[in-house]
Amino acid sequence: MTGLINAVPTDKPDEYRNVFVFLETRKGSVVKSSLEMIGIGREIADKVGEKLVCVIIGNHLEPMAEEAAKYGCDKVLGAESPDLEDFKTMPYAHYAAEFISEEKPNIFLIAATHDGRDLASRIAVKSRTGVTADCTVIDIDPKERILLANRPVYGESTLAEILCKNHRPQMATARPGVFKVPDRVDGKNCEMDIRKVKVDPDLIRKEIIGFRPKEEFDITGADIVVSGGIGLGKKEGFSMLQELAEELGGVVGASRPAVDVGWIERDHQVGQTGRVVRPKLYIAAGISGKAQHIVGMKLSDVIIAINTDPDAEIVKYSDYFINDDVYNAIPAILKEIKKLKGEKVEEITT
Amino acid sequence: MALEIVVMIKQVPDSQEVEIDPVTKTLNRMKARNVLNVADDNALEAALSIKDKVDAHITIVSMGPPMADEAILECMGKGADRGILLTDRAFAGADTYPTGLTLAAAISKLDHFDMIFAGEETSDSSTGHVGPGVAEFLGIEQITYTQSVRFEDGYVIGERELEDGVEIVKAKPPVLITVRLGSNIPRRQTLRKKIDALRKGVESWTLQNLGIPPEWVGFKGSPTVVRSMKTIKEKERSAKRITIEEIGQMVKELSDSGVLKMEVKEQ
Ligand SMILES: Cc1cc2nc3c(=O)[nH]c(=O)nc-3n(C[C@H](O)[C@H](O)[C@H](O)COP(=O)(O)OP(=O)(O)OC[C@H]3O[C@@H](n4cnc5c(N)ncnc54)[C@H](O)[C@@H]3O)c2cc1C
Repeated sequence: MTGLINAVPTDKPDEYRNVFVFLETRKGSVVKSSLEMIGIGREIADKVGEKLVCVIIGNHLEPMAEEAAKYGCDKVLGAESPDLEDFKTMPYAHYAAEFISEEKPNIFLIAATHDGRDLASRIAVKSRTGVTADCTVIDIDPKERILLANRPVYGESTLAEILCKNHRPQMATARPGVFKVPDRVDGKNCEMDIRKVKVDPDLIRKEIIGFRPKEEFDITGADIVVSGGIGLGKKEGFSMLQELAEELGGVVGASRPAVDVGWIERDHQVGQTGRVVRPKLYIAAGISGKAQHIVGMKLSDVIIAINTDPDAEIVKYSDYFINDDVYNAIPAILKEIKKLKGEKVEEITT
Repeated sequence: MALEIVVMIKQVPDSQEVEIDPVTKTLNRMKARNVLNVADDNALEAALSIKDKVDAHITIVSMGPPMADEAILECMGKGADRGILLTDRAFAGADTYPTGLTLAAAISKLDHFDMIFAGEETSDSSTGHVGPGVAEFLGIEQITYTQSVRFEDGYVIGERELEDGVEIVKAKPPVLITVRLGSNIPRRQTLRKKIDALRKGVESWTLQNLGIPPEWVGFKGSPTVVRSMKTIKEKERSAKRITIEEIGQMVKELSDSGVLKMEVKEQ
């Protein structure tokens, strides 16, 4: 236990070297957001000529460690025990903090998943250092080796750059889905240091007694999202959007009120309290464009808005604005797509 | 013996009223009303629903300016028994480390606690790091991001929402629990409890009550500092007006630029 104790600056920051990333695992494999951490961690380590070390805690770690190595780290540091099979905060934080005191990393990055955030500030407190939450831009000052941790604040309107100048390691959790997964390359050199540990029984204070996998429909990976809002006026409007989405090989999204009135299930909701999507094309049909919806779709490559109101807020977020009734516009888009596909068929067959 | 439950809450600017200044792109907090952080309201509801079933005593602990007692009174109006506001100029400017330390120091002054509840995160800082920090300072286990919590046969059973499913966790008190935003419907205050709350009032604790040095808390005790704030540049979008007749042209453009893939299935 850390006890009620303050954060302490390091007097020898030069002793702290290398970049740690935490590997979160699920059912025997490393989760995607942790591979993203390897990507950004590698970039940072290379900028200052340091090593990238992956920290992994669990059971049967070897295959996962080997897999992580293919994404480009110099070393995998692991704590392995049957007692660590499931994610348990206290022993996980304990071993992560032990690795810190032993190896003295300059930086420690953790994906800001629920388990990642569960763990990060406990590790920080144990190491009596700071942690910046949910970063979307991460860089390093190459001379001072100071982590430049940037996180969106004020409803995503502003990026705050946060430094942890005097405490080590400099820790950050990073938003999943923002950083790139590096290319997977076989046969990279990587030192393996997986230790069998005996977990102090006093650290085992919770038990995972069940797991219900999500059966939800996941709209976040789709290239095309066709979303509807209250402007559809009725549930049947979503059948029309579904037809268009299918024709485009995409999925259907929705505003929260459209979900609230029961026109479509909650797992289709886009926005602050729904999903954040980043497709190549986003179609907003009968959606006004309130801030809570915009945060869920503004990173889309191309946005088409369909709205009868020429002054709707969605207009300024659109690349194409069709100022018309959804029941005119959607069938017209569908028709034109079928027509174009028909032409392509002709091109092929003639 | 009654179950001792602590609920950590924060008063935040109302996110529905927060306006983002179109020019400076910063939060215009002046206009916003201050409210109880919604996820904390869900945390309180989770605690109250345990109190509905077993003998329990709920203490609200919050760090904030003197006016934050309003949010604590609201919690008492819903059924919390005691309210403590940690308020001192020395606490100002704290990042998550000293915030957790201050709250933990206060909680450790209570005679006893079995469960500590908190919202999953606050709407104004969105870190989710304070709750786990408190658990670390107090040396207890935690169950975060719960969508439901029950107390059965001396164990806390929490259903944690994860990216790929729901994990069911069992732990013996003392344990810290963080609660998902919107995971339950918080009850309203009752007139009787509101009157009781006003009669009891909110205790005000300063740094002196906590017995930790001033340089451990607030801005001085914070390992992180904000170096700069930059407006996030929104992608410029042209909002090109398209009539129904021009949709064919638009579809063609999108197909040519590769946004739309006109995959033609074998006939
Ligand atoms: C804490 C909080 C969280 C929230 N989270 C979310 C979230 O995650 N996602 C979300 O979407 N919202 C969210 N909201 C709600 C959000 O503030 C808006 O209320 C919501 O996005 C509006 O939905 P809408 O655009 O479908 O409806 P409206 O705002 O009612 O807009 C309907 C639009 O349709 C247009 N229209 C009407 N008829 C037609 C027609 N025939 N053809 C074409 N256009 C037509 C209208 O001009 C109007 O612009 C949240 C709110 C709060 C307070």
